Amino acid sequence: METVTPSHYLCLSLCLFSIGFLGVLLRRNLLLVLMSLELMLNGINLALVNFSRTSLNLDGSIFVFFIMTVAAAEVAVGLALLVALYKRRNSVFSEDINLIHN
Amino acid sequence: MIQVALSLLLLPLLSAIVTLLFLRKHGNIAALLSVATAGGILAFSSYLIFGNETGSVFAWSTPWFSLSNWQLDFGFLIDSPAKTLLFVVSFVGLLIHIFSLGYMADDQAKARYFGGLSIFMFSMLGITLADNLVMIFVFWELVGFSSYLLIAHYFKTDEAAKASRKAFIVNRVGDFGFLLGIIFTYWTFGTVNLQELSVTANLDPSLTSTILCLLLACGFIGKSAQFPLHVWLPDAMAGPTPVSALIHAATMVAAGIFLLIRIEFLFTAEAFKLIGLLGAVMGLYAGFCALTQRDIKKVLAYSTLSQLGYMAAAFGLGLPGIALFHLMTHAFFKALMFLGSGSVIHACHHEQDIFAYGGLRKKMPITAYTFLIGVMAISGVHFLSGYFSKDAILLGAYNLDFVIFCILYAGAVLTALYMFRLYFLTFCGAARSKSSSEAKESTIFMTGPLLILGVLSVLGGFHAFYPSQIVEFLLPDIARVADMPNHLWMNVLGLVAWVGGLVLARKIYGAQSGDKDPLAEKSPALFQLSNSKLFFDEIYSFYVKKIQDPFFRFLEVMELLFISGLLVRGSAGVAALFALLGKSFYSGKIHSYSFWFVSGTIGFLAYAIFSGGSN
Repeated sequence: METVTPSHYLCLSLCLFSIGFLGVLLRRNLLLVLMSLELMLNGINLALVNFSRTSLNLDGSIFVFFIMTVAAAEVAVGLALLVALYKRRNSVFSEDINLIHN
Repeated sequence: MIQVALSLLLLPLLSAIVTLLFLRKHGNIAALLSVATAGGILAFSSYLIFGNETGSVFAWSTPWFSLSNWQLDFGFLIDSPAKTLLFVVSFVGLLIHIFSLGYMADDQAKARYFGGLSIFMFSMLGITLADNLVMIFVFWELVGFSSYLLIAHYFKTDEAAKASRKAFIVNRVGDFGFLLGIIFTYWTFGTVNLQELSVTANLDPSLTSTILCLLLACGFIGKSAQFPLHVWLPDAMAGPTPVSALIHAATMVAAGIFLLIRIEFLFTAEAFKLIGLLGAVMGLYAGFCALTQRDIKKVLAYSTLSQLGYMAAAFGLGLPGIALFHLMTHAFFKALMFLGSGSVIHACHHEQDIFAYGGLRKKMPITAYTFLIGVMAISGVHFLSGYFSKDAILLGAYNLDFVIFCILYAGAVLTALYMFRLYFLTFCGAARSKSSSEAKESTIFMTGPLLILGVLSVLGGFHAFYPSQIVEFLLPDIARVADMPNHLWMNVLGLVAWVGGLVLARKIYGAQSGDKDPLAEKSPALFQLSNSKLFFDEIYSFYVKKIQDPFFRFLEVMELLFISGLLVRGSAGVAALFALLGKSFYSGKIHSYSFWFVSGTIGFLAYAIFSGGSN
């Protein structure tokens, strides 16, 4: 049976990041965009933990805590903004919040 | 003295300003104010002329403004020629103002007219009194401006509007040369003050040059309507008749001669010769054109050109005193004839065609006889004013330059011919139109000045009658001509000229009945040639239309292509292109922003990796 190596984790984190990145670029629903952003952050978290584990120091793990804190704060603010936006515009689709009409 | 000189200059300006500000709706008050101003001018200038004994020169100047080390003075120079012109301007000016009271009595825009006259008097006195060339130039432009205003008095007619523009533009051509001349003078002599110039030029005659004095003479050529800028004066007759008398016969056009006399010391022998020849040819040419004119004022306009040519010829012969003498007598008899023609035009309800007149002698005796005096004076009938000044020019020319004499003499015969033609057609025979058969003699406002000018035209040639202050500049040259030989011969030739003209005119025009010019039937070729005025207007309009306009259109295309197209719009276009590019990033779509953000990050990353890899 094949063992799970650090490069597998790295691949997974790359997949997570890419899925999140494509979601940010392609999704119209801002709620999904926010979720994709979280996915990108988690992909990076996974890579950091992976590096921390393979290089045998805790720097990466500490960094992950910071990122999670920031992500939580970001989601709180982002969701609040999104709710406020929905109340005002009755829509969470990105094309409906475009103020430049050309 | 200085207070008087300043009041003299500022009085008409004040009158014009008051008219402009308060009296625009009150034509009668404006007219009286203007006439009173003219009276005041005569009083002040009499004081200036007679205030000192003969031979004194009054000079005064004060700094006007200075630009770094160049200072311009505002000053007066009242010497002998200025006194003569001052007398002519203020005296003839007053008479013409009085005449205007009658002539413009039922004009709609009296205030504008009399205000314009006051501005003109102000600028003309400025030229007379100015002590430096720049000041002369300033007032020179002001007379041009007031002439423009007054020619365009009947601006609703196309003719007057066009004539005023033509006069203004043609004068600009001459004034451009004059301005160059002033700059050149300052460059050479380091001063524009007339007295300093005179001293410097006498100390070192090599400083002056023919090109310099000819440039200055450009001003004279424009203002005195000499060849090749003579085309504006006949058209300027579209203005009211007293204006033609004041500006375009007696004073403004004569200012050109006065300018020449002021700067006489700058002239070289070649320049003298050229001006003399130019004047003589003008004397003949204008007389030739006057032969076939139908408009009474245009005949007089060409006659003015011709007489100005005589003055220029006298100046060119080195007899500036005689030129000024002829300027003075010409101011009298030409103002007389213009005012006489004004009286006729007024009586005939603004009919100006001499072939529509006839038989006016019985209806308007005062106008007719004073006009006859003017005609005889200009033709050089013995012992009238014109005889003394014109025959002095002819005699001077006979003894100094025979070519000029021949041209001037032919001009003198023509003068007598066209002037008597004018007289016979206007005042003799039977009335040839309804307006002339109903004509009545004009009021005392109009006949009064005619009578006074008539007396002056008879006696104005006897220089001994004048107070010595007025004629002091004329006397040396008169004495010089008096000492010349061939007096008797000249008298005979003069007699032949005016009697010949008179007889010829009597024969051709004495029994005029229809409205066809008899010369056109007797000698069609001559008539056509004279009527065409030698095609100067056609040549100029050909030049403007076919050469100047296409050239400017070419320049305009070049300007559009290169300056406005390539440089202005080109540089703006490059900026606009960048702006367009930049603008396209701001789509308002969050996806495109994030796309560019990410691609920017990748770009930087790639740069960091690949350039870092080279180290």
